Amino acid sequence: MSRSGKARGVRVGSWVVVALAALAAAIPVAGPPASAQSKTLTLSMLAGFKEDVLRANLPDFEKKTGIKVVIDASPFGDLYKKQLLSLSTGGRYDLLFLDEPWVPPLSEFLAPLDERVRTLDMSDFVPTTVASGAFQGKQYALPVDPNVQLLVYRKDLFEQKGLKPPATWDELVATARAFHDPTKEQYGIAITGSSDIQTALYLLVSMWSQGAELVDARGRGGVDTPAGRKGAEIFLELLKLAPPNVRSYAFADVNKAIQLGQAAMAIQWASGAKPMEDKTRSSVAGKLGYTLVPKAVRQNPMRGVWTIAIAKNSANQDAAWEFAKWFTSREFGMAAVRYPAATSAIHSPRVSVLQDPGTRQILPYAEALLDSLRVAKERPRLREFADIQEHLRITVAKLTAGELGLEAALKEIDAGTNRILGK
Amino acid sequence: MRGGAARAGRGFLLPGLLFLFAIDLVPLLYSAWVSLYNWWLLRPRDVRFVGFGNYAGLAADPEAWRAVVVTSLFTAGAVVVEFLAGLGLALLFAQPFRFLRPIRVLLLLPLFVVPVVGATMWRVIFHPEVGVLNYYLAQLGLGKPAWLSDPTLALVSITMVDAWRTIPFMFLVLYAGLEVLPAELFEAAAVDGASRWQSFRHVTVPLLAYIMLVALLIRGMDAFREFDIIFVLTGGGPGTATQTIQMLNYRVFGLGHMGMANAIGVVTLALVAAMCLVLWRAVLPPRREAAPERP
Amino acid sequence: MKPTRLRAVLTATVLVPVLAWTLFPIYWIAAASFKTELALYARPPRWVFTPILDNYQRVLYNIPFFQYLTNSLVIAVGTTVGSLVLGTLAGYGFARFRFRGSSTVRFLVLVTRMAPRMVLVVPYYLLMQKLGLLDTYTGLLIAYVSFALPFTIWLLIGFFVDVPLEVEEAAMIDGCGRLGVLLRVVIPIAAPGLVVAAIFAFLVSWNEFLFALILSGVEAKTLPVVIAGFSTDVGPLYGEMSAAAVMVMLPNIVMTLVLQRYLVRGLTLGAVKG
Repeated sequence: MSRSGKARGVRVGSWVVVALAALAAAIPVAGPPASAQSKTLTLSMLAGFKEDVLRANLPDFEKKTGIKVVIDASPFGDLYKKQLLSLSTGGRYDLLFLDEPWVPPLSEFLAPLDERVRTLDMSDFVPTTVASGAFQGKQYALPVDPNVQLLVYRKDLFEQKGLKPPATWDELVATARAFHDPTKEQYGIAITGSSDIQTALYLLVSMWSQGAELVDARGRGGVDTPAGRKGAEIFLELLKLAPPNVRSYAFADVNKAIQLGQAAMAIQWASGAKPMEDKTRSSVAGKLGYTLVPKAVRQNPMRGVWTIAIAKNSANQDAAWEFAKWFTSREFGMAAVRYPAATSAIHSPRVSVLQDPGTRQILPYAEALLDSLRVAKERPRLREFADIQEHLRITVAKLTAGELGLEAALKEIDAGTNRILGK
Repeated sequence: MRGGAARAGRGFLLPGLLFLFAIDLVPLLYSAWVSLYNWWLLRPRDVRFVGFGNYAGLAADPEAWRAVVVTSLFTAGAVVVEFLAGLGLALLFAQPFRFLRPIRVLLLLPLFVVPVVGATMWRVIFHPEVGVLNYYLAQLGLGKPAWLSDPTLALVSITMVDAWRTIPFMFLVLYAGLEVLPAELFEAAAVDGASRWQSFRHVTVPLLAYIMLVALLIRGMDAFREFDIIFVLTGGGPGTATQTIQMLNYRVFGLGHMGMANAIGVVTLALVAAMCLVLWRAVLPPRREAAPERP
Repeated sequence: MKPTRLRAVLTATVLVPVLAWTLFPIYWIAAASFKTELALYARPPRWVFTPILDNYQRVLYNIPFFQYLTNSLVIAVGTTVGSLVLGTLAGYGFARFRFRGSSTVRFLVLVTRMAPRMVLVVPYYLLMQKLGLLDTYTGLLIAYVSFALPFTIWLLIGFFVDVPLEVEEAAMIDGCGRLGVLLRVVIPIAAPGLVVAAIFAFLVSWNEFLFALILSGVEAKTLPVVIAGFSTDVGPLYGEMSAAAVMVMLPNIVMTLVLQRYLVRGLTLGAVKG
């Protein structure tokens, strides 16, 4: 091969590199992170209808305060990961929209708001929702969108049979049995039985109602107890009164079972209730009743509040606080519940909004939501809770799939809790 | 090889290789290094060196072993099905029939569906109670299989969806490979009196060997690391029936345990590398990688 | 071996179930984009129905869809070009220039793609953060070319190896340099291979989600992230998701239709010699 050929080869190679570099440089590079400039905030938000509600109302905030808000929205399954990654590596968010279980682990990256909260009138907030933003005595976040488990039931079917919605867990099982008729594709209750996290949460709320705790007062696993066992047994019994393929059911399938008229009852989060009332998605819109989750020794619907927090390293904390106030205000709350979203928009944590007659008309479950929030129970407020919950999830998944027996599963749950907490 | 030729070769190779190794090898080394530490994103100041502690933890975890089994089953099943179907389709379409040409694009459509959407719609189709598939199966008297809640069927379901999505890719690669082959070879073989099967075995297969290997390698590596489809369809369930190594990795990563997540990554890399080496040696025994002798 | 009518019929018969299986979910997605969720689950399933445009409306008006589409297009085209250029050179280099250890280097190229993607998220994130390339086209381009390149190289090696040496030697005797041979002789013959590599690189970029999510957020957000956003906390929004997916499919289909005429047998020995 001639020398010129070899030289040509190398020259070609270098030109390619130069060309690519020029190409890369020519492509417009987006500007520096917005929070470097003042009066512009970057918010890490949940993508979807919650984002839509915010975007629809954001111009009001910007007009009132002159502060611009840039929304970085992530899908539900990835929001925590993205926030964790960003915060732990020096981050570029000013504000974060957090699900309440994330507050304890992320608290060390968040700015404490106690001083600021003192200047705010907190009396309109449902008290338990404010607790969702607190950790170890400090307030790190304000409640924006409260969520709680409700008991949903088909008013029309109950009227036909002359039954009242069950008040206790034993009544729940009996009522479900009364409606359960697989030959007619009618099922007693819709819950989940898959490896989805909801399955573990259903088990937990059943255990809570019997008096058991995931993490007891001494900080050790507390489900391997008679109360825990009873809760688990009731849960397993309910699985038999659910659609036959409940073991593949996730959150959306519970909704489907109600929306398509297959289930007489369901335990579902309030956020899932709105789609049940949407005529383009549900054949039973308007036929549903809502009440609190049943009780046994205790009545403990599970609470899950979406909150707003400010990053500790944000350069715009005052502006961020303005946004947080607006985001949790009565005006935004009223506008949010009236936003024509077919699915989970934003409920307000304010009593005045939830008691408002207009709200009650748009959200048939508003009363049940408020009553449930008042007695709602939170999951353990621990930094390690995500790990404990994940372990709970996989163990319950093995339980419902038959890979583990009940006794073994209960022991396994506690063993995992203890191991994670270093006990 | 002459020095001049060698240098020309380097000219061709350097830009791509430099780019690749700079961008990719460094992160891989970083990843391997992190796997030797106990780093939890939530406790950035509490990082400790643990040597092979993460790996030991994995080896002692029965769930990890189960994940390896599930992943291997899925990968083997998916690759075999997809390769054979892709090859069959490629041969079918290599025939000189006019009506085949416009249909080619139709076959490729599943590749253009965003994986998450494809998997979500398959979940709708697979829904045991209200899905369209079981509706027609019930009408035909075949009952309503529990596509996603039976452990074995769940594995079959995810393989089916993966095959639906990827057979077009295998088809594309193998078909293009067939098209590059000069027509004279087949004519010469036909003139020599070779049957279709002999022509296939002794002309097509050796020439196509490299392309087939590439197709197998790409698919094998991707199937081993497949995530989206499995996550949407079964979430790793029921129980741990479809929990692959990637699913395990996702869980650990999502909790911020970077050390363990990277350890799983390194283990995955080792397993995939082993698989690739085995495939490479099986399809192309050494010393036969240059273009084969002309007949 | 002249193709017979019988074989044509047999071929068609085999193709019918194959096409049915391949196209049914696509049809279902397209149909879902024109239906309400309730209609989607109607039993018996409705194959003929009155389409509604609400889903498309919601997708196009509620989010800056066209901005994301542009982002995705720019990045995908850039990825394709980058991978093809670098890949063609490297593929040819590997195919024609054997040196000691070339097998090992080739394997190393593949090794970069053996680790699960998740594992590379943090290093890539830190790298882009340090370079100031977070939420930019360049950052994602670099990442995606690095994803597509190994397979592109291997694919093209395979196709280049099948190009007969005699053709290249003939061209070089005629005075072509190596690069000229590559451009004028090898590429036209191996055109189907380049088509496959292009489609592959385009798809790698077009459908990629994880790194788009982590490395972008506002400015360089791409379509897969938007589509993932339709899997909400209360379940998937089937109608909107399907509408978005249909729109996302269209550029791919256009690209394939344009490229597919190169997916045919290239020059033959006879044509060059004659």
